[in-house]
Amino acid sequence: MSATKKLTIARAMAESISLEMRVDPKVFVMGEDIAKLGGVFGNTRGLLAEFGDQRVRDTPISETAFMGAGVGAAMDGMRPVVELMFVDFFGVCFDAIYNMMAKNIYFSGGNMHVPMVIMASTGAGYSDGGQHSQCLYGTFAHLPGMKVVVPSNAYDAKGLMTAAIRDNSPVIYLFHKGLQGMGWLGNEPAAINQVPEESYELEIGKAKTVVEGSDISIVSLGVGVHHALKAAKELEKQNISVEVIDLRSLVPLDREHIIASVKKTGRLIVVDEDYHSFGVSGEIIASVIERDHNMFKTPPSRITFPDIPIPFTRPMEQWALPSTEKIINECLAMMEGK
Amino acid sequence: MTQPIIVPMDLWEEDVEAVISAWLVDNDSGVTAGQLVAEVMVEKIQYEIHSTADGIISIISEADDVVNKGSIIAEVS
Amino acid sequence: MLPTNSQRISMYRNMLISRYMEERIESIYMEGKKPVFNMANGTIPGEMHLSNGQEPCAVGVCAHLEAEDVVTATHRPHHIAVAKGVNLNKMMAEIFGKKTGLSGGRGGHMHLFDKDVNFSCSGIVGQGMGPAAGAALSRKLQNKSGIAVAFIGEGAANQGAFHEALNLASVWNLPVIIVIEDNDWGISVAKSASTAVAKNSDRAAAYNMPGIHIEHNCPDKVFSAAKEAIDRARNGDGPTLIEIKTSRLAGHFMGDAEEYRPKGEKSQLLQEDPIPIYRQKLIDANIITLDYDLALVAETQQLIEQAITFARDSEYPAPEEAMLHVFA
Repeated sequence: MSATKKLTIARAMAESISLEMRVDPKVFVMGEDIAKLGGVFGNTRGLLAEFGDQRVRDTPISETAFMGAGVGAAMDGMRPVVELMFVDFFGVCFDAIYNMMAKNIYFSGGNMHVPMVIMASTGAGYSDGGQHSQCLYGTFAHLPGMKVVVPSNAYDAKGLMTAAIRDNSPVIYLFHKGLQGMGWLGNEPAAINQVPEESYELEIGKAKTVVEGSDISIVSLGVGVHHALKAAKELEKQNISVEVIDLRSLVPLDREHIIASVKKTGRLIVVDEDYHSFGVSGEIIASVIERDHNMFKTPPSRITFPDIPIPFTRPMEQWALPSTEKIINECLAMMEGK
Repeated sequence: MTQPIIVPMDLWEEDVEAVISAWLVDNDSGVTAGQLVAEVMVEKIQYEIHSTADGIISIISEADDVVNKGSIIAEVS
Repeated sequence: MLPTNSQRISMYRNMLISRYMEERIESIYMEGKKPVFNMANGTIPGEMHLSNGQEPCAVGVCAHLEAEDVVTATHRPHHIAVAKGVNLNKMMAEIFGKKTGLSGGRGGHMHLFDKDVNFSCSGIVGQGMGPAAGAALSRKLQNKSGIAVAFIGEGAANQGAFHEALNLASVWNLPVIIVIEDNDWGISVAKSASTAVAKNSDRAAAYNMPGIHIEHNCPDKVFSAAKEAIDRARNGDGPTLIEIKTSRLAGHFMGDAEEYRPKGEKSQLLQEDPIPIYRQKLIDANIITLDYDLALVAETQQLIEQAITFARDSEYPAPEEAMLHVFA
């Protein structure tokens, strides 16, 4: 049996990156405050000490330049892991991401690869306001050419990071601030789990059924998975059997896994912290209905963030966010045939 | 013989409390001397706590518990 | 041109207000965050970026501004908001997330918007310069008086937006001033590690506009340089870049351990705290007496205490009000 210990997601990310950097000299890391500080969210701790400042680079506040640089380096044979400190900052560098990183493999007819990983923090719930709290899953998943992964726990975090680094396609790695294990952003103990010491990959594009159930399928990602698991535990007491699916990846989206679950339960709730309209929740529901609308015992529903900028003040933010309570209420309503 | 895992007296400077933000091993699992077993937080800074011995760990303070420098947070036997 | 005594006292007063505000916020911020420092908790949740040490930049520039002049600021806005005349009660209530806040709690400390004095701030580094240029353009197009000032940090001088805004302001001859508060740190990265030039004011030449470097974090020096630049703008002679060497006496955000700062740097900076130095300067020049100073300190503290009381006593908004004001 391999040696295992528990890690926070922050440590799992750092561990994955360091294991890859040990075996592949092409892997390097750049971003703001990722060297000496080890990342504002702890995901590059220890890398500077182990690998030095040529391969672990603090950048100026110049996202357009260093995202573009990541694309160029990746196309020239390096394997950059680039941090976008908050996903909300994508606005200042999105051309490099969606128009070049995501399209250059295609534009080159498959002749050139872009083995770049962008890791970005996401998530609300601690009053950081409208420009520092978004998830933007839909924004990145919607545009062709980039894989998107969203780990909900340390085991997945390490495996997905390793897979992302080894992938010759660009991967957006979105980690939720509330799950990092940083303490000052709150704590989700269930995100801290057993992680093997050695390297391993988790296949990108494969969802996981975390808890099996027969009455309702709840599909979620990131923090939503933990809300769903807590709801499932509560609902069990009321004899409602909830199946919880952790998407783990948005692109590719594991539609078959979701469809198989809804075929079994006949009921679907999508929990998505991103904005309600034109995003992940709509995509999932559409994907299932397109396949066979007859499998639904009751209309599908979604618990999402409303189409508003994320408010600062706690009562408003908490009211707007998906929560365990909202999931429980929705499940109860659904079972009553509402 | 049981070895305590104590929050080191020199882990941080001021005389303030800390909180255990995460246990990185399960209760009753095997640990080795020097292994990272827990994280404690003083305000926003995280510090690492390492096992003082090889053996089976018995957790005394849980995650989210308040601890001080010198607190015994676990034992290894 | 040097400030008059009355202008000096006014600048000093604003520095007292904003410093006391930061000191009080620092202590209130920790309410509910001990022993567990969880940012979500307490009277003031979220992040907090304090401006201790940077007050001279704000007061020296804003001494020349009217309510109609437009100011954009950053995630570290309080000293500028105070100097610009933002309503203290509503600002404090906004920071506390209350219904009576500037935006009813929607914005918080990084998104303070006061229409009455044309002040706004935003959290993405460097992005306030475009809007400042735009406000300047608007006044020009409407033949209305008023200029715009964008306050940024030295880290923002490495953002594309900086270069584009300066170029645009210059090409279109806009009445806008860009003020760089150089506190040497972009979170944990020192300016020397991130910036290709020693003085960002030298970059102004690349955009064919004057670049002024102020080496000392002193209100009078900022006042004089700002007067020149603002007069130039008001006279239709275009933009200026001002760079002020200031100091960040607090961490980047509340809770920042600042372990990346060289040993001794903080204590050295605290000895150069601009407020006691300016106080002494005013006393030595007989512009104020010790008694006057005491009275001023008491008065300014009273203003902030009133604002805090107002904020504490105000109610939170109803949660569903989050849905309001998405659109006009």
